[in-house]
Amino acid sequence: MVSILRELYYGGAGTVVFLLILSVEAILLLLAAGRVPLQYSLRNLLVRWKTTLLTALAFTLVVAVMAVMLAFVEGMKRLTEGTGEPGNVIVLAEGNTDETFSNLPVGDLTDIEQQPGVLRDAQGRPLASRECYMVINQPFPDAPPGRPKRRFLQVRGIDDIERAAAVHNLHLAEGQWFSPAGVEERVLPDGTRRTVVQGVLGRGIAEELGRARGPQRRAQAVNPDRLEVGDLFELADRTWVVAGIMDSEATTFNSEIWAKRSVVGPLVGKEGYTTLVVRTAGPAAAIRFKNFLERDYDKAKVKAYVETEYYENLTQTTTQFLIAIAVVTFFIAIGGVFGVMNTMFAAVSQRRRDIGVLRLLGYGRRQILVAFLLESLVIALVGGLLGCALSTLADGWSATSVISGHAGGGKFVVFRLVVDAQILGVGLLLALAMGLIGGLVPAWSAMRLKPLEVLR
Amino acid sequence: MKFLVLVAKNLRRNPLRTVLTALGTMMLVMVVTLVWSVLWFLDQATTQRSENFKAIVTERWSIPSRMPYSYAATLREGAARAPGDVRPLDWMTWQFYVGTVEPSPQKISLDNMVFVVAIDPDKALTMLEGMDLLTPEQHREMEQIVAKAKVNKQGIVMGRTQMARLNKRVGERINLYGLSNFKGLDFEFEILGQFPPGRYDGLSAMHVDYFNSQMDAYPSRHGGRKHPLADRSLNIVWLKVPDDQAFNHIAAQIESSPLYTSPPVKVETLSSGVGTFMEAFRDLLWGLRWVLTPACLVTLSLVIATAISISVRERQLEFAVLKVLGFRPGQIVLLVVGEALLLGVSVGVATAAGLFVLVNWYLEGIRFPIGFFDVFFVPPMGVAVGAAVGALTSLAGSLVPAWTARNVKVADVFAKVA
Repeated sequence: MVSILRELYYGGAGTVVFLLILSVEAILLLLAAGRVPLQYSLRNLLVRWKTTLLTALAFTLVVAVMAVMLAFVEGMKRLTEGTGEPGNVIVLAEGNTDETFSNLPVGDLTDIEQQPGVLRDAQGRPLASRECYMVINQPFPDAPPGRPKRRFLQVRGIDDIERAAAVHNLHLAEGQWFSPAGVEERVLPDGTRRTVVQGVLGRGIAEELGRARGPQRRAQAVNPDRLEVGDLFELADRTWVVAGIMDSEATTFNSEIWAKRSVVGPLVGKEGYTTLVVRTAGPAAAIRFKNFLERDYDKAKVKAYVETEYYENLTQTTTQFLIAIAVVTFFIAIGGVFGVMNTMFAAVSQRRRDIGVLRLLGYGRRQILVAFLLESLVIALVGGLLGCALSTLADGWSATSVISGHAGGGKFVVFRLVVDAQILGVGLLLALAMGLIGGLVPAWSAMRLKPLEVLR
Repeated sequence: MKFLVLVAKNLRRNPLRTVLTALGTMMLVMVVTLVWSVLWFLDQATTQRSENFKAIVTERWSIPSRMPYSYAATLREGAARAPGDVRPLDWMTWQFYVGTVEPSPQKISLDNMVFVVAIDPDKALTMLEGMDLLTPEQHREMEQIVAKAKVNKQGIVMGRTQMARLNKRVGERINLYGLSNFKGLDFEFEILGQFPPGRYDGLSAMHVDYFNSQMDAYPSRHGGRKHPLADRSLNIVWLKVPDDQAFNHIAAQIESSPLYTSPPVKVETLSSGVGTFMEAFRDLLWGLRWVLTPACLVTLSLVIATAISISVRERQLEFAVLKVLGFRPGQIVLLVVGEALLLGVSVGVATAAGLFVLVNWYLEGIRFPIGFFDVFFVPPMGVAVGAAVGALTSLAGSLVPAWTARNVKVADVFAKVA
């Protein structure tokens, strides 16, 4: 089951479409092969509508739950796939697979930026972004009951915000980038004048922080569901102001706060650099530059990744969740299969005489099998379609999770659940498979009934 | 009693249906019990306990926490400096290290990397979480390992997953070469033993003195330069405190102490620290609790409802006869609900008990890495949960069919038969 679901999920839409077409063809073939009118099967389902409905609802729930769980994983997957530029190379300290633990000396950064292969901007400066990625453990005294009073916030300390935005190909959705100083003077609500730190937030974290405010502050806020440009918040014992909101949906930057490195680094005792991101001419140039840094660059030992490859490696959690979903779906589906078997065995038992009459009228054993199998598949199809329809309600829900690689670390991310055609296809396939497996044994037993015995 | 016998006999009347319903129930009870076990374990980990109350001291802002090792000497006293200050009952320091058994940088991979914590062996039995849950045999084994580790400072105790991955056995030697921030810190170990199965499968532990002696020896091999982590090698300090009041005192002592300013530190309960990490998974856990579990319960109710509905439809004549024989409508309801309950509860208990044995004794836990936790076990209360799930869903699934059976009109049924 795990490998089937993985194949369906990672095999891409093509596999799912192929299997769906195959299923439709198989059903059409059954219809063509079965001489017992389809109307007979459908009428029987309608006569026993309560049992039919109960069984179909079980399918609905199984399919809907699986689709919602897959939508969660799909949201995480899209996040890792959508982050990073194929022409960028991300440089970390040697042996690091995650920027959380990296520590790069300044001298190495300067030298790497000057290497041939790194693109330059209009002013002739290397298109490189020096960054310090940090995870801050921030108290949230207003946390609702039952929720922790602290949470982790991801802050990216940046030296030159405009160059960083150009390297990461990120744009502002609202407001402005932080100033060269990274701070500004502001009159606080209590009337005092204070220097506040400017932060540029991803939309996801702006929503998270907006909702994390206490009821009183939310009631007074411009937007109770999100921090808006100009709003104040507390971080690392300082007051911050939202300078801008990044257009970073579907990337991990959506869950980050960007600020001036020289301001935020000392606040949390992290004054060096963790990451250098450089822009090259394109994907092929990025691979060449990465290989150069790892094999031929001898001034410093560093670990380099093409940026897209770095984020694609953060799939361990996604894979774990997918395995868990496959296992859970397997067991729930088996439960559902036993349910449909019950229904179909009862149908066979109630219609033993019908079957005898049909056989005497000249319908072959195979036609009986097809008629009962089609009944089971119709229940599965109806239930599956309802389940798919139900699961689409989850599309776009906001959720939080962690994405991580195999070597620990990881990022806390805010993302949206995605119910796409592929997931709906997998749901429908699951329903049909359940219908087929659950219907086959009762249909087989119906096929083997002896007409004279059942009519005696 | 006769009524119970009648209920049991009814279940035997259509063995195929009973078996299919039982199998369906089994699958869904299994899923619900497993999900409940995971959530129960996480709830326990994030709930403050009055016994084994621990405070955790880490760097105030940054993750991962890195503090000077010099903090340890006073932190283990709870920063007590005045008469009347509260001292912890016990303490433990954690220093993290990541190395690889592969000396060639080109061959470094996740398969040859090892995560090790440097700890005081004496504290392994008194401070590590879960040691109070070991079987007497496991406890004895751990005591022997600890005794060896105290004598042999170059010993390492490894987790089972790590040992299997590296294909190593107890008694063999292993060299680790520092990675990432630990570059230049290399160790030669003898494997003294392995952690009991469960939460420490992915962890190894070395003697704190060996780690610090290598750190101290680093400058002599690197032209007098200190290791970059020399002043930030202490990651976490655990303090065992008697109660909430003592925790508040010690937290105040530490957080107001002038000794811990660069970097500043924070004190929180262990459960609160774990809760902060688990906050990132809150939507996943919410989904398990409020989407998956109810969906399983409703699906199970539907499976049972289908089976009971079919049974009631087939037994209309029987219910009519029972009514003629003097059975009251309430007794008919009890009969139908009783059948469902007997099936649901007995299958629920059997499934959960089987799961308890299978997961805890044979599989050595279910692997679902989330936050700090890799492996989950089914607690004994899981058996009661299985019974409750079986009872609840069979009741929900049988009420409507039972009501239908109760309302069977004797005249109508006999008219049809006639």
